[in-house]
Amino acid sequence: MICTKNLSKHFKNETAIDYHDMTFEDGKSYMLLGASGCGKSTLLNMIAGILSVDSGSIEIDGVDMSLKTQKERDKFRIQKIGYIFQDFKLIPEMTVIDNINILRLEGVDTSGVDEILAKLEILDKKNKKVKHLSGGEKQRVAIARAIVKKPDIILADEPTGNLNFAIGEEVIKQLVEISKGKTLIAVTHDERLSSYFDYVIDMNEMTGGRRDV
Amino acid sequence: MFKFALKNMAIKKIQIILVVLSVVISAGVAILAYNIASQIDDGISSNAGYYSLIVGPAGSNTDLAMNSMYFTGNPTETIPYSYMDTLYKDTNVRRVIPLAIGGGTYKNQYKVVGTSADLLANKGFDSGNAFDDSTDCQVVVGYTVAQRNNLSVGDKIKIGHGTDAHGQDLEVVGILEQSYSSYDTVVFTQVKTLWHLHENEGEEHHDHNVYAFLINTNNLTGASTLIRKLNNTVIVDEESGTTYPIQAIEPMSIMRGVLDDLGDTKYITLVLCAIILAMNILVISIITLLNMYNSKKEISLMRLIGISMKKINLLYIIQNSIIGIISTLLAFGASRLCLLLMSGFAQKMGVVLNYGKFYPLEFVILLGVFIITVLPTIICTYSMARKDSLEQ
Repeated sequence: MICTKNLSKHFKNETAIDYHDMTFEDGKSYMLLGASGCGKSTLLNMIAGILSVDSGSIEIDGVDMSLKTQKERDKFRIQKIGYIFQDFKLIPEMTVIDNINILRLEGVDTSGVDEILAKLEILDKKNKKVKHLSGGEKQRVAIARAIVKKPDIILADEPTGNLNFAIGEEVIKQLVEISKGKTLIAVTHDERLSSYFDYVIDMNEMTGGRRDV
Repeated sequence: MFKFALKNMAIKKIQIILVVLSVVISAGVAILAYNIASQIDDGISSNAGYYSLIVGPAGSNTDLAMNSMYFTGNPTETIPYSYMDTLYKDTNVRRVIPLAIGGGTYKNQYKVVGTSADLLANKGFDSGNAFDDSTDCQVVVGYTVAQRNNLSVGDKIKIGHGTDAHGQDLEVVGILEQSYSSYDTVVFTQVKTLWHLHENEGEEHHDHNVYAFLINTNNLTGASTLIRKLNNTVIVDEESGTTYPIQAIEPMSIMRGVLDDLGDTKYITLVLCAIILAMNILVISIITLLNMYNSKKEISLMRLIGISMKKINLLYIIQNSIIGIISTLLAFGASRLCLLLMSGFAQKMGVVLNYGKFYPLEFVILLGVFIITVLPTIICTYSMARKDSLEQ
């Protein structure tokens, strides 16, 4: 379970986002909707440990992540969190399999990769260089990389942001399907995809909005 | 980690090839120059002290020393062979070794020197023995001559001018051990064999001359006395009335002068190498830093998916170590290949370059180059690790 309490984040350009308290239950899927700048991605990055928490706390399974060091948060992320980025964060010159096996640097077991690639219908692209793939295929590779380590939590930041609706819908369908039994939090602008998730959270309501400090 | 490092390198082929080339050229040139200078130095030093003095026709004393000890050049001035008897009459003289050259070569490549078995007395033999001075038409061949021409003891060879070979067969009676000196590439025979060859060639009158006598005296004082006595002497051939002005030289003092000159050359070479190396350190460092700068995106990507900075540092250090190892090995290989190709040039100075010879300083240079290849990466990754913040 993920719980946020009195969470806020300040940025260098002297703006801050205040969040209402939120709880994400284990094994459920959440869709975070909201206008640009309302703090959706910032929340995701704080849960993932990419961004530090300025005030308040994020508890994951009872552990306050805001008290952890960067190193500890990195370790937690590689072990427990699968993160899917809008811009995929793949090395274009490398093959699909090499982009996934990069996790082995941290000792992650990637032995189930073929099964995941098959579920995502890109097993035949396994040895292709990422730069030769379409946007939808790249996002599936990013999903495979996030899933292969069998994380408890999957965070997806605008996973359909670079895809057209049809492909985006297909990707979301596969993402929800493959994430069953795990906590999935996905940020998206597109309300049409809300039916695939257990819960939809309007972040415009969940944050006190941006304020100048 | 190693496998991934190789894969990551494979996607940056051109950058890596440039770094490797840069290292190979700088390190290769540095160790090649040092190795050649050292081998020539060693080669000259090893033979210089063996004879007390050399007697030969008046002229350049360095030429006489080089022609006599390293068989360089083609001496044209000669003195009568019969003068050996006069030399032996001097009580200071213990041994006189004649050196003659007929102009003929073996296979149009290897010099043929007429001498006595005494010249080869201190040499090791790969097979066979020295020739018998009391007979003729026997040869002892240097190691390289034998190797390149598949010669064995008992084989017959012909000596000739240009591509022509004289009709008379000469029997190989000995093959010298490899010495990495000029002896490896010379064919030795009795002096009288050379004369016979000339007579067989149809020369009506051939002077029985030599171009030098190598002399061992009973003691050092004897050598000095002889040098004073023989210098500026003129031999007169009673039969023909021809006069032969001679000189006597002490090989050690002549070669010391040559070595001093070589020492200066070696110093200049090393300074030039140091400049090349310094320039390349700069180039290698800049290329490595640019590579690291280009890799920033890749590093931030790895950081975002949870790879620790420690592992990323290790990955790049492994990559650059591989580049360093490959580059230094290639530099070493290239320097040996160049040594092989340049051995012909060095032979003119009486030194056979041994491409298998390795000096400790070469190892130090290669180690230095390896460190230079890896160090910028370590500095760069260390500074990145210090500034590591995903918030950026």
